[in-house]
Amino acid sequence: MTRTYHVDVKRVLDGEITLADLPPELQAEGAEALRLIAALDRAPVTLPPAFEAKVMRAVRDRATAPMRRVWRWLSAPHEVELRLRVRPWAVSGVTLAAAAVLGLLLVKPQPPARSGSAARPAAANVVFVRFVLHAPGAKGVAVAGTFNQWDQNAAPLIPAGTDGVWTTTLALPVGQHQYAFVIDGRQWIVDPAAPAMDDGFGRRNSLVVVTMQGARTL
Amino acid sequence: MASRDAATDGDIVRAVLAGDVERYAVLVERHRDRHARYAVHMLGSPDAAEDAVQDALLRAFDRLADCREPDKFAGWLFLILRNRCLAERRRDRREGRLPEGAAEAVAAPERSDGALEQQEQGRALARALGLLTAEQREVVVLKHVEGLAYEEIAQRTGATVASLKMRMHRAYDRLRELMKEHL
Repeated sequence: MTRTYHVDVKRVLDGEITLADLPPELQAEGAEALRLIAALDRAPVTLPPAFEAKVMRAVRDRATAPMRRVWRWLSAPHEVELRLRVRPWAVSGVTLAAAAVLGLLLVKPQPPARSGSAARPAAANVVFVRFVLHAPGAKGVAVAGTFNQWDQNAAPLIPAGTDGVWTTTLALPVGQHQYAFVIDGRQWIVDPAAPAMDDGFGRRNSLVVVTMQGARTL
Repeated sequence: MASRDAATDGDIVRAVLAGDVERYAVLVERHRDRHARYAVHMLGSPDAAEDAVQDALLRAFDRLADCREPDKFAGWLFLILRNRCLAERRRDRREGRLPEGAAEAVAAPERSDGALEQQEQGRALARALGLLTAEQREVVVLKHVEGLAYEEIAQRTGATVASLKMRMHRAYDRLRELMKEHL
């Protein structure tokens, strides 16, 4: 016959009550349960001294693997220095042109994208994607993802009205992007309006696919 | 010397991502033993635990760009190690290396005394832990070996406090059954 512990004895083991709180008929069972848990080995564990060197050897091998170097070069941002030689009359021309473009942008703002993850083409391979989250009570909301190296300060959302709706529009390159919302700088949540996928480490990320026809959630 | 490096985990993650691979040694030194005890209890042997911690550190290096909060590297590394341990436990069970649920009790020696009895009880309990499900075993280890509160375990594992308590209470009963000859 299976012997189970009384629910109050389990509360003693959980630390919710003490052995002294148990009625006399449960005292022996409580003491037995405490003895059982006390027998667990809590000694600290130290890995062998050579462990660190072994890991670092493997790390160096991986770091110098040709494919990894190529991938790192392709995925890392690079600074590009452009040197232009211009004549003084050209500077004033460029300034005037820039002012005209700025004026056009201010006079004729782009219509807002539709709610959700709708998008409109902006450049050759960039599409505006609107992120919307209903987070009443939040003091700040941001979106972080593969498109901004998971930087939670890079893309803050702005409150739209007073009913807890936060929104921002980002220019994203065509492709597949993973992202999550960050509430008040500490709570990471998936987009309730988009499917989520496991990131391989036990957490979930939302997924959006950006094409020249717009953005869609998978 | 790595141990004297005062930089935060976040600083080091960013440095490694920028190409300073050698700085990863600081993270290895800082975190190598931190979760080793968890791994030993989850996998049942120091050798398996060492392999698991090494795999976790290498996987973390490979996927460092995916670390969303570099300042919480320790928690992220724990998740990687946890997935590794749970996967190994499930594989062992599938391949029949762990007769989970098969043993009715962990046998006690015929006669013992004092300290020897205590030692034997500790060993028997370690064997009994190996007969729990991976999830039950984990919650026992995190609460009663690592000393975490249910809320902390929930934060680390993503499970709710209610489900953790249910797991734990089943584990108490199972341990009692498995250890009946020692109690």
